[in-house]
Amino acid sequence: MATITVNNLQKNFGEKRAVDIDNYVINSGEILGLVGNNGAGKTTFFRLIVDLLKADNGSALINDIDSSKSEEWKNITGAFIDEGFLIDYLTPEEYFYFIGKMYGLKKEEVDERLTTFERFMNGEVVGQKKFIRNFSAGNKQKIGIISAMIHHPQLLILDEPFNFLDPSSQSIIKHILKDFNEQTGATILISSHNLNHTTDICPRIALLENGKIIRDIDNTDNTAEKELEDYFNVD
Amino acid sequence: MLLKELRKHSKLAAKRHPMFEKNKFGKFYIYFMMLFWAGYLIFFGILFGFGFADGFPTMEPYHIMNKGLFIILALDFLLRFAFQKTPTQEIKPYLLLPVKKNKLLNFLLLKSAADTYNAFWLFMIVPFAFITTLKFFGITGVITYCLGFYLLMILNNYWYLMCRTLINEKTYFVLIPIIFYGLLLAAEVTLDNVVSAFTMNLGEMFIESKLIGFLGVLIVILGLGWINRIIMLKNLYAELAKTEDTKVKHVSEYKFLERYGEVGEYFRLELKLLFRNKRSKSMFRMGCFLIIMLTAMLFTPSYEGPFGKSFVGIYNFAILGILMLTQVMSFEGNYLDGLMSRKESIYNLLRAKYYFYSFAVLVPFILMIPAMVMGKISFLMAVSYSFFTTGFIYFIVLQLAVYNNKTTPLNESLTGRQSTGTGFQSLISFMAFGIPMMATNLLRVAVGETISLWILLTIGLILTFTSNLWIMNIYKRFMKRRYKNMEGFRDTK
Repeated sequence: MATITVNNLQKNFGEKRAVDIDNYVINSGEILGLVGNNGAGKTTFFRLIVDLLKADNGSALINDIDSSKSEEWKNITGAFIDEGFLIDYLTPEEYFYFIGKMYGLKKEEVDERLTTFERFMNGEVVGQKKFIRNFSAGNKQKIGIISAMIHHPQLLILDEPFNFLDPSSQSIIKHILKDFNEQTGATILISSHNLNHTTDICPRIALLENGKIIRDIDNTDNTAEKELEDYFNVD
Repeated sequence: MLLKELRKHSKLAAKRHPMFEKNKFGKFYIYFMMLFWAGYLIFFGILFGFGFADGFPTMEPYHIMNKGLFIILALDFLLRFAFQKTPTQEIKPYLLLPVKKNKLLNFLLLKSAADTYNAFWLFMIVPFAFITTLKFFGITGVITYCLGFYLLMILNNYWYLMCRTLINEKTYFVLIPIIFYGLLLAAEVTLDNVVSAFTMNLGEMFIESKLIGFLGVLIVILGLGWINRIIMLKNLYAELAKTEDTKVKHVSEYKFLERYGEVGEYFRLELKLLFRNKRSKSMFRMGCFLIIMLTAMLFTPSYEGPFGKSFVGIYNFAILGILMLTQVMSFEGNYLDGLMSRKESIYNLLRAKYYFYSFAVLVPFILMIPAMVMGKISFLMAVSYSFFTTGFIYFIVLQLAVYNNKTTPLNESLTGRQSTGTGFQSLISFMAFGIPMMATNLLRVAVGETISLWILLTIGLILTFTSNLWIMNIYKRFMKRRYKNMEGFRDTK
C-alpha cells in the first residue's frame, strides 16, 4: 500500500511561494482531504507529488521512492487533475482500454471493472460513439475519475473530483471512493471546495493557506465541518 | 475604435505569449531569412529591369514583366502555402459583448490583407519600376505601378486564404486552384496568349494611373473578401459549437495493432491523432499531396538531370516525415500530463511514431515504382533514399522531441491562439531539408553516383537498425528537460 512522505517541499512561482510544507506523512490506506481558498496551493501540491512540476526544494516520496527520481511509483498511482489528462480525440471506451493497456489490463478486464462505475456513468459515457472532446464538462470529469481508478491504484489523487458533477453523481462518487478505499486499502488524496463532501468521506483533512498546511484536522468523528466553516466564514 | 482595440489585443497576445521571450533564435532566424529574400528580390528586380531591355529590344521591359504577372501570381500563391498561415484570433472573449460577428471577421480579413508578406514582392517591383517606367511616366507612374502590384498581392492573399481554408476543410477542394490554373494555362496556349495580353494591359493601366484598372482589382478583392467572410462565418460556428463530429458513424479500431503491446497501442494512437484532428489531418494530407506532386515532377523534363532527380527523390521520401515530425510532442502537448503519469510512455510513443513514419516511406517508394521501371530513377537510389530517410533524416528530426515545448492546437484554426513554430523547430527543419540535399550532391560530385548512394544507404541502415538506442537516448534527454517542456506545453495550451 502507499505512503506519502513530504520533506521540506517548496515551490515558488516568481516571488510567490505556492507550496511550503516542512514534513508531512500521509499514511497508507488513509483518505486525506485537502481544503483551502483559491490559490492556497492544493493543485500545485498534487502536481509536485506526481512529478508534473519541479520542486525548488525538498521531495515527495511515494512508498519511499522520490517521485522526481524514479518512475516506479507510476505503476501504483492513479491521478486526475484536469482535462489535460484526457486524450480527447478518443472515445471514452478507447481511452479506458488505452489506459488499461498501459497497466497490463486486457479489454475484458477493463470492461469488467467498468461495471463498478455503471451507476456513476448513468448511461451517458460508454456506447455513445462520441469523442471525449464532445462530452459535457461533467461527463469529461467522470471519464477522468474512472480512468484514474481503472487499474486499482494503491494511491489515488483527484483534484476537485466533485466539480461539474450533478448532485446525484457527486453522491455516487463519494460512495465509490469510500468503497474503493475499504476494499483495496488504497491511499486517497482529494482536494475540494465542497466542505460537506470532504468531511463526509475524509477522516483526515489538511487545511492549506499560502502553500502551508496550517491545520491537520482529525475528522474520524465527523467534527471537522464546524472548524472548517469557521475558518471559511460560512454562515 | 473596435478594430483598434482588437489590433491591440492581437499584438498583446503575441507579445505576451509565453514563448515570445524564449524564441529569440526564431526571431533572429526569421529576420535573417527576410533580409536574405529581400536582397534576392531586389537583385531580380534590377536583373529583369536591364535583362528584359536587352532580351526583348522591340518591347518595353515592363510589358514583358506585365505579361508574366500571371506566373508571378501563381508562384506567389504556391509560396504562400509554405510561408503564410491562415489568420487566427481568439474570438470567444468578444462574442458575448455587443459586437457584431461580421466586424470581428472583417478584422481578421483586414489583418490578413495587412500581412507584411503581401508587400514582400515590392522589393522586386520597386527597383524594377524605377529602372523601367520612371523615364516615361515619372514618379507617379512608379508609384501607381507599385500600388497596382501591391493590390494584386492582396487579391492573391484572399484567393489563397479562400483556397487554403477550403482545402483545410476537405482535401478535394485542392481541385479549385488546380482547375483554375489549368484553365488559365489552357486559355493562354489555345486562345492566342489571351491571359498574358490581359495582364499586360492591366499592368499598363496601373502605370498610366487609369482608374478602371484599380477599380477592377478592388472589386475582385471585395468579392473574394466577401466569399472568405462567408466561409469563415460557417467555420466559426462549427468551431465554437464543435459540431463537426458530435456523432461518429464509424469508430476505427485498428485491431491488428493489438498484438504489438504498448508500442502497438501508441501506433494506434498516432493513427487516431492523424485522422481525427483537423490540424494534423490537414498537415498529413498536405504531405501526401506533396508526395504526389514530387512523384509527378519526376516525369517532367526539368528533373531529368542528376540534381533534379536527387532533389525529387530525397524529398519525396522525406517530406512527410519532416512535415509531421517537426511537430513531434507538440500535438501531444495537449494531453502530456496524462502521458507523463505513466511509466516510460514517452519512450514507447516515440518508437511508435518512428515506426509509423518509417512505414510511411513505403508510400513514395510504391508511387515511384513506375519511375523506376521507366528508368527515371534507379532502384538503388530509391532504396538508398528510403533508408537514409528512416535513418539519418528521422534521427535529426526526432531530436525535436527533446526541445519542442509548445502545444499545437489539435482542431482550432480560426478561433485558436496564434501559433508559430519555435526557432529550434525552424533550425531542425532547415537542417533536415538542407543536409540531405547537400550531402547527396557533394558525395555524388566527390565519389560518383553509385558509391554515393551506397554510402547513404550504409548510413541509413546503421541508424535505422540502431533506432531503439538513439530513441532511448532522446527519451532520456526528454526526461531531463521534462519540467521545462511540461511548463511550456501547459502555458501554450
